[in-house]
Amino acid sequence: MLLALAEEAAESKVVGALHELNVQTVISFPKLGPIDLSITNAVIYMWVSAVVVFLFFFIAAKRSKNEPEKLQTTAEIMLNFATGHLTGQIGEKGKKYYYLILTIFAYIFVTNIIGLIPKLEVLKPYTPTANINVTAGMAIVVFLVTQYQGFHRHGVGGYLKSWMTPPGVPKAIGVPLNVIFFPVHLMGEFFKPLSLSVRLFGNTIAGHLIILVMLGLILEFASAIVIIPAALFVIIMTAFEVFVAFIQAYIFSLLSVVYIESAIYAGH
Amino acid sequence: MAFDADTAARLAAGIGMGLATLGPGIGIGYLTGRTSEAIARQPEASGDIRTAFIIGMALTEALALYAFVIAIILIFVA
Repeated sequence: MLLALAEEAAESKVVGALHELNVQTVISFPKLGPIDLSITNAVIYMWVSAVVVFLFFFIAAKRSKNEPEKLQTTAEIMLNFATGHLTGQIGEKGKKYYYLILTIFAYIFVTNIIGLIPKLEVLKPYTPTANINVTAGMAIVVFLVTQYQGFHRHGVGGYLKSWMTPPGVPKAIGVPLNVIFFPVHLMGEFFKPLSLSVRLFGNTIAGHLIILVMLGLILEFASAIVIIPAALFVIIMTAFEVFVAFIQAYIFSLLSVVYIESAIYAGH
Repeated sequence: MAFDADTAARLAAGIGMGLATLGPGIGIGYLTGRTSEAIARQPEASGDIRTAFIIGMALTEALALYAFVIAIILIFVA
Protein backbone atom coordinates (compact mmCIF):
# COMPACT_ATOMS: atom_id res chain seq x y z
CA MET A 1 0.00 0.00 0.00
CA LEU A 2 2.72 2.45 0.97
CA LEU A 3 5.13 1.19 -1.66
CA ALA A 4 4.17 4.11 -3.89
CA LEU A 5 5.88 6.31 -1.31
CA ALA A 6 9.26 4.77 -1.99
CA GLU A 7 9.18 5.88 -5.63
CA GLU A 8 8.42 9.46 -4.69
CA ALA A 9 11.04 9.46 -1.93
CA ALA A 10 13.65 11.10 -4.11
CA GLU A 11 11.41 14.12 -4.66
CA SER A 12 10.73 15.36 -1.15
CA LYS A 13 12.31 14.77 2.23
CA VAL A 14 8.87 14.77 3.89
CA VAL A 15 7.89 11.78 1.78
CA GLY A 16 11.35 10.30 2.37
CA ALA A 17 10.73 10.30 6.13
CA LEU A 18 7.62 8.21 5.56
CA HIS A 19 9.90 5.48 4.22
CA GLU A 20 9.85 3.99 7.72
CA LEU A 21 6.30 2.80 7.11
CA ASN A 22 7.37 0.51 4.25
CA VAL A 23 7.89 -3.21 4.75
CA GLN A 24 11.43 -4.15 3.73
CA THR A 25 12.60 -7.66 2.98
CA VAL A 26 15.58 -8.76 5.05
CA ILE A 27 16.03 -12.38 3.95
CA SER A 28 14.19 -13.29 0.75
CA PHE A 29 12.94 -16.77 -0.02
CA PRO A 30 11.59 -17.94 -3.40
CA LYS A 31 7.83 -17.45 -3.69
CA LEU A 32 5.50 -20.46 -3.24
CA GLY A 33 2.88 -19.39 -5.77
CA PRO A 34 1.09 -16.33 -4.36
CA ILE A 35 2.55 -16.87 -0.88
CA ASP A 36 5.66 -14.88 -0.06
CA LEU A 37 7.41 -16.30 3.00
CA SER A 38 10.33 -13.86 2.96
CA ILE A 39 11.47 -12.58 6.33
CA THR A 40 10.73 -8.86 6.49
CA ASN A 41 11.54 -6.25 9.12
CA ALA A 42 7.89 -6.41 10.25
CA VAL A 43 8.24 -10.12 11.06
CA ILE A 44 11.52 -9.54 12.89
CA TYR A 45 10.01 -6.80 15.09
CA MET A 46 7.05 -9.08 15.84
CA TRP A 47 9.47 -11.80 16.95
CA VAL A 48 11.42 -9.31 19.06
CA SER A 49 8.24 -8.18 20.84
CA ALA A 50 7.10 -11.76 21.37
CA VAL A 51 10.50 -12.66 22.86
CA VAL A 52 10.41 -9.59 25.12
CA VAL A 53 6.93 -10.49 26.41
CA PHE A 54 7.94 -14.14 26.90
CA LEU A 55 11.21 -13.35 28.67
CA PHE A 56 9.58 -10.77 30.93
CA PHE A 57 6.99 -13.20 32.29
CA PHE A 58 9.37 -16.18 32.20
CA ILE A 59 12.07 -14.46 34.24
CA ALA A 60 9.48 -12.94 36.57
CA ALA A 61 7.98 -16.40 37.18
CA LYS A 62 11.40 -18.05 37.64
CA ARG A 63 12.59 -15.49 40.14
CA SER A 64 9.35 -15.26 42.09
CA LYS A 65 9.87 -15.32 45.84
CA ASN A 66 7.87 -14.63 48.93
CA GLU A 67 9.31 -11.13 49.18
CA PRO A 68 8.67 -9.79 45.68
CA GLU A 69 11.22 -7.63 43.90
CA LYS A 70 10.55 -4.93 41.32
CA LEU A 71 10.24 -7.35 38.40
CA GLN A 72 7.87 -9.71 40.17
CA THR A 73 5.76 -6.82 41.45
CA THR A 74 5.38 -5.46 37.92
CA ALA A 75 4.43 -8.87 36.53
CA GLU A 76 1.96 -9.40 39.38
CA ILE A 77 0.37 -6.01 38.79
CA MET A 78 -0.12 -6.89 35.13
CA LEU A 79 -1.53 -10.31 35.98
CA ASN A 80 -3.93 -8.80 38.52
CA PHE A 81 -4.86 -6.17 35.96
CA ALA A 82 -5.74 -8.85 33.42
CA THR A 83 -7.49 -11.24 35.80
CA GLY A 84 -9.29 -8.61 37.84
CA HIS A 85 -9.85 -5.47 35.91
CA LEU A 86 -10.01 -6.73 32.33
CA THR A 87 -11.66 -10.10 32.72
CA GLY A 88 -13.69 -9.23 35.80
CA GLN A 89 -16.75 -9.09 33.59
CA ILE A 90 -16.42 -12.58 32.10
CA GLY A 91 -16.70 -14.27 35.47
CA GLU A 92 -16.08 -17.94 36.18
CA LYS A 93 -16.98 -19.19 32.71
CA GLY A 94 -14.27 -17.24 30.97
CA LYS A 95 -11.43 -18.04 33.37
CA LYS A 96 -9.32 -19.80 30.75
CA TYR A 97 -9.22 -16.64 28.62
CA TYR A 98 -7.34 -14.65 31.28
CA TYR A 99 -4.07 -15.59 29.67
CA LEU A 100 -5.22 -14.89 26.11
CA ILE A 101 -6.26 -11.40 27.19
CA LEU A 102 -3.06 -10.84 29.19
CA THR A 103 -0.96 -11.99 26.21
CA ILE A 104 -2.84 -9.72 23.79
CA PHE A 105 -2.45 -6.78 26.17
CA ALA A 106 1.26 -7.31 26.83
CA TYR A 107 2.06 -8.05 23.19
CA ILE A 108 0.30 -4.97 21.77
CA PHE A 109 1.79 -2.73 24.44
CA VAL A 110 5.34 -4.00 23.88
CA THR A 111 4.98 -3.83 20.08
CA ASN A 112 3.74 -0.24 20.22
CA ILE A 113 6.51 0.83 22.60
CA ILE A 114 9.24 -0.87 20.55
CA GLY A 115 7.89 0.91 17.48
CA LEU A 116 8.17 4.27 19.26
CA ILE A 117 11.83 3.85 20.25
CA PRO A 118 13.97 5.75 17.71
CA LYS A 119 16.22 3.34 15.85
CA LEU A 120 19.13 3.57 13.42
CA GLU A 121 18.46 3.13 9.71
CA VAL A 122 20.55 -0.09 9.81
CA LEU A 123 17.97 -1.75 12.06
CA LYS A 124 15.22 -1.10 9.46
CA PRO A 125 12.71 0.44 11.91
CA TYR A 126 9.12 -0.69 11.63
CA THR A 127 6.04 -0.89 13.85
CA PRO A 128 4.17 -4.17 13.29
CA THR A 129 0.92 -2.73 14.68
CA ALA A 130 1.02 -0.06 11.94
CA ASN A 131 0.29 -2.87 9.49
CA ILE A 132 -3.34 -3.89 9.03
CA ASN A 133 -2.37 -7.56 8.51
CA VAL A 134 -0.90 -7.85 12.01
CA THR A 135 -3.86 -6.24 13.76
CA ALA A 136 -6.33 -8.19 11.60
CA GLY A 137 -4.56 -11.41 12.59
CA MET A 138 -5.09 -10.69 16.26
CA ALA A 139 -8.68 -9.59 15.69
CA ILE A 140 -9.43 -12.82 13.80
CA VAL A 141 -8.15 -14.88 16.74
CA VAL A 142 -10.55 -12.99 19.02
CA PHE A 143 -13.35 -13.48 16.46
CA LEU A 144 -12.74 -17.26 16.31
CA VAL A 145 -12.68 -17.54 20.11
CA THR A 146 -15.92 -15.53 20.31
CA GLN A 147 -17.76 -17.67 17.76
CA TYR A 148 -16.40 -20.91 19.26
CA GLN A 149 -17.70 -19.86 22.69
CA GLY A 150 -21.10 -18.93 21.24
CA PHE A 151 -21.63 -22.17 19.33
CA HIS A 152 -20.05 -24.33 22.05
CA ARG A 153 -22.12 -22.97 24.94
CA HIS A 154 -25.49 -22.49 23.29
CA GLY A 155 -25.43 -24.98 20.40
CA VAL A 156 -25.90 -23.89 16.80
CA GLY A 157 -29.66 -23.32 17.18
CA GLY A 158 -29.41 -21.57 20.52
CA TYR A 159 -26.67 -19.21 19.40
CA LEU A 160 -28.41 -18.32 16.14
CA LYS A 161 -31.60 -17.77 18.13
CA SER A 162 -29.86 -15.13 20.23
CA TRP A 163 -29.47 -13.08 17.05
CA MET A 164 -33.25 -13.09 16.45
CA THR A 165 -35.83 -10.80 18.09
CA PRO A 166 -35.47 -10.92 21.88
CA PRO A 167 -37.97 -13.07 23.81
CA GLY A 168 -41.06 -11.27 25.09
CA VAL A 169 -41.95 -9.65 21.80
CA PRO A 170 -45.39 -10.80 20.53
CA LYS A 171 -45.03 -13.41 17.78
CA ALA A 172 -47.09 -11.46 15.26
CA ILE A 173 -44.52 -8.66 15.30
CA GLY A 174 -41.45 -10.64 16.37
CA VAL A 175 -41.32 -13.21 13.57
CA PRO A 176 -41.48 -10.74 10.65
CA LEU A 177 -38.98 -8.47 12.41
CA ASN A 178 -36.37 -11.26 12.17
CA VAL A 179 -35.87 -10.20 8.56
CA ILE A 180 -34.19 -7.10 9.99
CA PHE A 181 -32.76 -8.48 13.24
CA PHE A 182 -30.90 -11.50 11.90
CA PRO A 183 -28.90 -9.81 9.10
CA VAL A 184 -28.05 -6.87 11.36
CA HIS A 185 -26.69 -9.17 14.09
CA LEU A 186 -24.85 -11.27 11.51
CA MET A 187 -23.20 -8.17 10.04
CA GLY A 188 -22.46 -6.95 13.54
CA GLU A 189 -20.49 -10.11 14.29
CA PHE A 190 -18.28 -9.50 11.27
CA PHE A 191 -17.88 -5.79 12.00
CA LYS A 192 -16.47 -6.53 15.46
CA PRO A 193 -13.09 -7.89 14.25
CA LEU A 194 -13.04 -5.26 11.49
CA SER A 195 -13.42 -2.39 13.93
CA LEU A 196 -10.93 -3.99 16.38
CA SER A 197 -8.22 -4.26 13.73
CA VAL A 198 -8.90 -0.90 12.07
CA ARG A 199 -8.89 0.91 15.44
CA LEU A 200 -5.44 -0.34 16.46
CA PHE A 201 -4.00 0.06 12.96
CA GLY A 202 -5.46 3.54 12.51
CA ASN A 203 -4.33 4.86 15.87
CA THR A 204 -0.79 3.55 15.49
CA ILE A 205 -0.25 4.64 11.90
CA ALA A 206 -1.86 8.05 12.49
CA GLY A 207 0.52 8.81 15.35
CA HIS A 208 3.55 7.62 13.40
CA LEU A 209 2.49 9.56 10.30
CA ILE A 210 2.22 12.81 12.27
CA ILE A 211 5.62 12.30 13.94
CA LEU A 212 7.30 11.31 10.66
CA VAL A 213 5.80 14.21 8.71
CA MET A 214 7.04 16.65 11.37
CA LEU A 215 10.53 15.09 11.24
CA GLY A 216 10.41 15.33 7.45
CA LEU A 217 9.52 19.03 7.71
CA ILE A 218 12.62 19.57 9.87
CA LEU A 219 14.78 17.98 7.17
CA GLU A 220 13.02 19.80 4.34
CA PHE A 221 13.14 23.37 5.72
CA ALA A 222 16.37 23.55 7.70
CA SER A 223 15.55 26.86 9.44
CA ALA A 224 14.94 27.76 13.07
CA ILE A 225 11.38 28.98 12.38
CA VAL A 226 10.33 25.46 11.46
CA ILE A 227 12.72 23.38 13.54
CA ILE A 228 11.87 24.76 17.02
CA PRO A 229 8.06 24.33 16.89
CA ALA A 230 8.33 21.07 14.95
CA ALA A 231 10.83 19.58 17.41
CA LEU A 232 8.67 20.62 20.37
CA PHE A 233 5.63 19.13 18.67
CA VAL A 234 7.47 15.87 17.99
CA ILE A 235 8.52 15.59 21.66
CA ILE A 236 4.97 16.21 22.92
CA MET A 237 3.48 13.90 20.29
CA THR A 238 5.88 11.08 21.17
CA ALA A 239 4.95 11.38 24.84
CA PHE A 240 1.28 11.30 23.83
CA GLU A 241 1.95 8.23 21.67
CA VAL A 242 3.31 6.35 24.70
CA PHE A 243 -0.03 7.04 26.37
CA VAL A 244 -1.89 5.99 23.19
CA ALA A 245 0.15 2.77 23.06
CA PHE A 246 -1.11 1.86 26.53
CA ILE A 247 -4.70 2.99 25.88
CA GLN A 248 -4.91 1.06 22.61
CA ALA A 249 -3.56 -2.13 24.18
CA TYR A 250 -6.08 -1.65 26.97
CA ILE A 251 -8.98 -0.98 24.58
CA PHE A 252 -8.12 -3.94 22.35
CA SER A 253 -8.06 -6.35 25.29
CA LEU A 254 -11.09 -4.76 26.97
CA LEU A 255 -13.19 -5.01 23.80
CA SER A 256 -11.99 -8.60 23.29
CA VAL A 257 -13.31 -9.33 26.78
CA VAL A 258 -16.60 -7.61 25.98
CA TYR A 259 -17.02 -9.58 22.73
CA ILE A 260 -16.13 -12.96 24.27
CA GLU A 261 -18.42 -12.19 27.20
CA SER A 262 -21.30 -11.29 24.88
CA ALA A 263 -20.94 -14.69 23.18
CA ILE A 264 -20.74 -16.59 26.49
CA TYR A 265 -23.87 -14.92 27.83
CA ALA A 266 -25.65 -14.65 24.45
CA GLY A 267 -29.40 -14.21 24.75
CA HIS A 268 -29.33 -12.75 28.27
CA MET B 1 -2.39 21.32 -13.13
CA ALA B 2 -5.17 19.26 -14.62
CA PHE B 3 -8.03 18.08 -12.44
CA ASP B 4 -7.58 14.37 -13.08
CA ALA B 5 -8.65 11.31 -11.09
CA ASP B 6 -5.57 11.43 -8.87
CA THR B 7 -6.21 15.03 -7.83
CA ALA B 8 -9.86 14.22 -7.19
CA ALA B 9 -8.88 11.28 -4.98
CA ARG B 10 -6.50 13.42 -2.88
CA LEU B 11 -9.10 16.19 -2.58
CA ALA B 12 -11.72 13.66 -1.52
CA ALA B 13 -9.35 12.20 1.06
CA GLY B 14 -8.70 15.59 2.63
CA ILE B 15 -12.28 16.81 2.64
CA GLY B 16 -13.62 13.44 3.76
CA MET B 17 -11.14 13.19 6.63
CA GLY B 18 -12.04 16.68 7.79
CA LEU B 19 -15.75 16.00 7.70
CA ALA B 20 -15.32 12.63 9.40
CA THR B 21 -13.68 14.19 12.45
CA LEU B 22 -16.75 16.37 13.14
CA GLY B 23 -19.08 13.64 14.37
CA PRO B 24 -16.62 11.77 16.60
CA GLY B 25 -15.36 15.12 17.91
CA ILE B 26 -18.83 16.09 19.09
CA GLY B 27 -19.37 12.55 20.39
CA ILE B 28 -16.17 12.36 22.43
CA GLY B 29 -16.76 15.84 23.80
CA TYR B 30 -20.25 14.92 24.94
CA LEU B 31 -18.95 11.63 26.38
CA THR B 32 -16.14 13.31 28.33
CA GLY B 33 -18.48 15.96 29.69
CA ARG B 34 -20.99 13.42 30.90
CA THR B 35 -18.21 11.24 32.37
CA SER B 36 -16.77 14.08 34.43
CA GLU B 37 -20.29 14.98 35.54
CA ALA B 38 -20.89 11.38 36.63
CA ILE B 39 -17.55 11.14 38.45
CA ALA B 40 -18.22 14.46 40.20
CA ARG B 41 -21.61 13.19 41.32
CA GLN B 42 -20.36 9.78 42.45
CA PRO B 43 -16.57 9.69 42.93
CA GLU B 44 -16.70 6.20 44.48
CA ALA B 45 -17.98 4.73 41.17
CA SER B 46 -15.21 6.36 39.11
CA GLY B 47 -13.58 3.01 38.19
CA ASP B 48 -16.69 1.62 36.50
CA ILE B 49 -17.50 4.95 34.90
CA ARG B 50 -14.00 5.20 33.46
CA THR B 51 -14.25 1.71 31.95
CA ALA B 52 -17.55 2.59 30.30
CA PHE B 53 -16.02 5.87 29.12
CA ILE B 54 -13.05 4.12 27.50
CA ILE B 55 -15.29 1.59 25.71
CA GLY B 56 -17.53 4.39 24.47
CA MET B 57 -14.56 6.47 23.39
CA ALA B 58 -13.10 3.52 21.48
CA LEU B 59 -16.36 2.92 19.64
CA THR B 60 -16.78 6.62 18.80
CA GLU B 61 -13.19 7.08 17.73
CA ALA B 62 -13.45 4.10 15.39
CA LEU B 63 -15.76 6.12 13.11
CA ALA B 64 -13.05 8.68 12.41
CA LEU B 65 -10.54 5.89 11.91
CA TYR B 66 -12.70 4.23 9.26
CA ALA B 67 -12.59 7.52 7.34
CA PHE B 68 -8.83 7.69 7.93
CA VAL B 69 -8.34 4.24 6.41
CA ILE B 70 -10.54 5.21 3.45
CA ALA B 71 -8.44 8.36 3.02
CA ILE B 72 -5.24 6.30 3.01
CA ILE B 73 -6.77 3.94 0.44
CA LEU B 74 -7.82 6.92 -1.71
CA ILE B 75 -4.35 8.44 -1.67
CA PHE B 76 -2.10 5.40 -1.97
CA VAL B 77 -4.16 2.71 -3.68
CA ALA B 78 -6.71 4.40 -5.94
